Amino acid sequence: MLAAAAPSTPTTLPSSSSSSTRKLAATAAAATATNNNARRPIVKCCAFSSSSPSSPLSQNPKPSSDLLKNVAKTIAGVTTVTLILNLSNFPAFVGGGGNSGGGGGGGGGGGDGSNGGGGGGGGFWRRLFRPQVANADEPQSQQEWDSHGLPANIVVQLNKLSGFKKYKVSEILFFDRRRWSTVGTEDSFFEMVSLRPGGVYTKAQLQKELETLANCGMFEKVDLEGKTNPDGTIGVTISFTESTWQSADKFRCINVGLMAQSKPIEMDPDMTDKEKLEYFRNQEKDYKRRIERARPCLLPAPVQREVLLMLREQGKVSARLLQKIRDRVQKWYQDEGYACAQVVNFGNLNTKEVVCEVVEGDITQLVIQFQDKLGNFIEGNTQIPVVKRELPKQLRPGYVFNIEAGKQALRNINSLALFSNIEVNPRPDEKNEGGIIVEIKLKELEQKTAEVSTEWSIVPGRGGYPTLASLQPGGTVTFEHRNLNGLNRSILGSVTTSNFYNPQDDLAFKLEYVHPYLDGVYNPRNRSLRVSCFNSRKLSPVFTGGPGADEVPPIWVDRAGMKANITENFNRQSKFTYGLVMEEITTRDERSHICSNGQRVLPSGGVSEDGPPTTLSGTGIDRMAFLQSNITRDNTKFVNGTIVGERNVFQVDQGLGVGSNFPFFNRHQLTLTRFFQLKEVEEGAGKPPPPVLVLHGHYGGCVGDLPSYDAFTLGGPYSVRGYNMGEIGAARNILELAAELRIPVKGTHVYAFAEHGNDLGSSKDVKGNPTEVYRRVGHGSSYGVGVKLGLVRAEYAVDHNSGSGSVFFRFGERF
Amino acid sequence: MASQIIREWLGINSFAPATQTKLLELLGKLNQENVNSLTILVMGKGGVGKSSTVNSLIGERAVSISPFQSEGTRAVMVSRSRAGFTLNIIDTPGLIEGGYVNDMALNNIKSFLLNKTIDVLLYVDRLDAYRVDNLDREVVKAITDTFGKGIWNRALVVLTHAQLSPPDGLPYDEFVSKRSEALLKAVRLGAGLRRQEAQGSAIPVVLVENSGRCNKNEKDEKVLPNGTAWIPHVVQTITEVILGGSKSIFVDQKLIEGPNPNARRKFLIPIILVLQYFFVVKPIERQIKSDIARESRPSWEMRDTGSRKY
Repeated sequence: MLAAAAPSTPTTLPSSSSSSTRKLAATAAAATATNNNARRPIVKCCAFSSSSPSSPLSQNPKPSSDLLKNVAKTIAGVTTVTLILNLSNFPAFVGGGGNSGGGGGGGGGGGDGSNGGGGGGGGFWRRLFRPQVANADEPQSQQEWDSHGLPANIVVQLNKLSGFKKYKVSEILFFDRRRWSTVGTEDSFFEMVSLRPGGVYTKAQLQKELETLANCGMFEKVDLEGKTNPDGTIGVTISFTESTWQSADKFRCINVGLMAQSKPIEMDPDMTDKEKLEYFRNQEKDYKRRIERARPCLLPAPVQREVLLMLREQGKVSARLLQKIRDRVQKWYQDEGYACAQVVNFGNLNTKEVVCEVVEGDITQLVIQFQDKLGNFIEGNTQIPVVKRELPKQLRPGYVFNIEAGKQALRNINSLALFSNIEVNPRPDEKNEGGIIVEIKLKELEQKTAEVSTEWSIVPGRGGYPTLASLQPGGTVTFEHRNLNGLNRSILGSVTTSNFYNPQDDLAFKLEYVHPYLDGVYNPRNRSLRVSCFNSRKLSPVFTGGPGADEVPPIWVDRAGMKANITENFNRQSKFTYGLVMEEITTRDERSHICSNGQRVLPSGGVSEDGPPTTLSGTGIDRMAFLQSNITRDNTKFVNGTIVGERNVFQVDQGLGVGSNFPFFNRHQLTLTRFFQLKEVEEGAGKPPPPVLVLHGHYGGCVGDLPSYDAFTLGGPYSVRGYNMGEIGAARNILELAAELRIPVKGTHVYAFAEHGNDLGSSKDVKGNPTEVYRRVGHGSSYGVGVKLGLVRAEYAVDHNSGSGSVFFRFGERF
Repeated sequence: MASQIIREWLGINSFAPATQTKLLELLGKLNQENVNSLTILVMGKGGVGKSSTVNSLIGERAVSISPFQSEGTRAVMVSRSRAGFTLNIIDTPGLIEGGYVNDMALNNIKSFLLNKTIDVLLYVDRLDAYRVDNLDREVVKAITDTFGKGIWNRALVVLTHAQLSPPDGLPYDEFVSKRSEALLKAVRLGAGLRRQEAQGSAIPVVLVENSGRCNKNEKDEKVLPNGTAWIPHVVQTITEVILGGSKSIFVDQKLIEGPNPNARRKFLIPIILVLQYFFVVKPIERQIKSDIARESRPSWEMRDTGSRKY
């Protein structure tokens, strides 16, 4: 697309934009490489972006660095997937006038129209912003030029120049006849001229340039003269009279995109005055109708008022003022991300009202295409509605293209994790003038993947020395079949063991089927079904000794079963899950023998097997089915990298009376966490995060059958810090309270916390009272300080029950 | 155990005639009240003289006494009948081992007592111990946890080694009352009895001297330093407690396992579930909805309503 646009764009543009493109690609690639997960194929970042549409008047626009930065940011934020938001240069949506003027325009390509010169009368100011750069499509490469062959320092009219010579222009001067002064290159008019000092031009080119300027509507009168220099070059002076119109006190902005451009009727020079009058009247009528038909534009009232103020201050409407207004209006569009918006015309001049005609970039079509690895268009496996539902509606036909919506689309599609490369590409609609076709190009990931990761562990053999036989091969086998049916359904399976010779020892498996769009892919409701088989083995924190107690023989809790649940996502973070869990729980002792009761060390030193029962059935094996539901409300957000907001989670496990001993229970927990921002801070990259106070409460309770493995335990890094897991107790009802104050320091934060956990006297309501049997208190507090070092929390916590403090290193967040 | 042979109570003959008369009189009184069997549970710390007390009450060497070591962990029931009246005395092992309540012993006692009715509990301790400590409270607590608070309405505190000369020249009666006061306080605390509860049915304290060198009065009855013949006194107090109107304790499975916390309020679960749905889940859902409504949307999303058609 860039290639198509290039011929019509100023020569300076491609080079400047491509250089920054290269830079961008380099940084983006670096970001990709560092984040890339080694097991995924490395995706080359082929991001490129040309600059945003330059203002049509500008001959040497700066590449929009903001945009590039934004795109770079977007890309850097994504690890394995290349995201591209292409914004090619939109040459012009004006085009189609088919006007006879400006000869070279037709070659411009990309719908670039030529300038209509003729229609400027009667308050019309057509094609103001289309000074056709006629020279662009003529070769400029030749370096040699001809001396003017005239005496030095004489003024030569343009038509006196030789048509066969190539003149080198050493300098260009602008002379404002109204002000009677020379204007500098900083003047806004300067950018309308395509001539450059040092360029080599023929007479025809110079004439064309003059014609262009004369036709552009900015000037009432414009002349071009040469001045010979001793070295054979010429200086060019362009003298002009700026166009002015009646003062206006009204401003109106309309969107003329997708409207047929009104074709100015060629005025017959032989028209009588009456005919002329008729002609102008008709034109005015046409224009009125056009304004009425036009849709209101997005420009908000404050900006419109600002423009109106500019108009009122100025008095007379001058070409320069219109330029200023155009810049202001276009700046707003650019700032708001309407990258395809352009001011194309000012109309209705001389009528006390200035009508600003904007082509905003209405989307006429949305195209989703799939590409193979080589970039050929193919029929994708993914069904189109799956992609479509991820797109913000602002990308649909009928809306104005906005780059932010494009970025949103990139992020959303990327979160599907189905594509290795995603491009969102607006391009002008050739059939529909002023329209934009949004193209989304996707490269799909492999549907089936399988992975084996292995690890060897060396186990001390006899005598403590590792032998060859004590090498244990272990590892994980994972397979995934994703995007079944093109509807993003997937099957994922994994098997892990630390010893392939004896996998029965600790074989962990998981098989999961995910079925999104349960209510149909067209339904905005986002529910997905998840069915999984699993097993897991965990050390039970219920069978843990209290402070100073003898070592308690550990109990392992193995769970194996099936789970089927439905998750409804309300938004990115809040969701509601409900489903059925069927599992078999086996409790084992240290030697992996099934045990029905916890062990305890007797005062005499012996071990007795009559500790608290481990299971409900009393056999060491429980089977149960229960309903599980979880509702999470999370409106936290990041303010300069620190989390702020609140999170509430409520979870209920409702026993159905199905299983060993007909377990019937209602086990519930409510977690409330608030992150209070203690100071207002300015948001932005690199700005310091605010200090935050975290308050956290967790209540857990159970009515009905409560096996010990489901008892709530107190103590541990995610419960009451400073204690071991379960060191405070295991109870039927618990309450945990915590407060933490986070103070940002040099890119990280330090924190102080105080926590308390209490069994509410319900430890005795757990069968066998494991809290008391293992000599635990049942309640405890702690306080401490810590510092966050990357992912690791380093903290010093004082356990209030024993009064001793210790240093902990933990991964992850407490809240 | 259930098939234990109930032997004729011959040991009663070994008592002094005066004691025999008194005992028979008391048993007759019980018979009149339609009480024809009596089960006495004897509990206490180790080495306080539980077994000796049992032997003294029966009047024969019914249970073995092991003065210097813990007596194993089995409970023993001694049953004797006399004139249609059955007396069961259950001797239990000491509840304390290594400074802790021996849960295993307690469990054994529990299972031994299954399906038996306990008419009277004799909580045995020594009179000549001067201090009441935490351990006493632990033992009382263990007993209470097992049988419930009600057991203390049917309990006697038995103080053994009653034949002693109090230190510092305290009068004997004062020493006894001080010692029993302290012990009763420990019992009250350990059992978690409220003051008025405890006062309403004060636990009687009886004194026992099992030693063969026990002083005897002119009727050849064993007497305490204060002159009372203690065997008739103990039996009389037991009779009074039985006739006091409180219920005897029947030990069933439920009592042994304690109140089943898993069964408590189980019938409320459907109601709880409904309440949870309407008063927790629904409000959170509403909050989520309002969060979504209040979510700050980017301006581009708000501005373009897409009302235009093309």
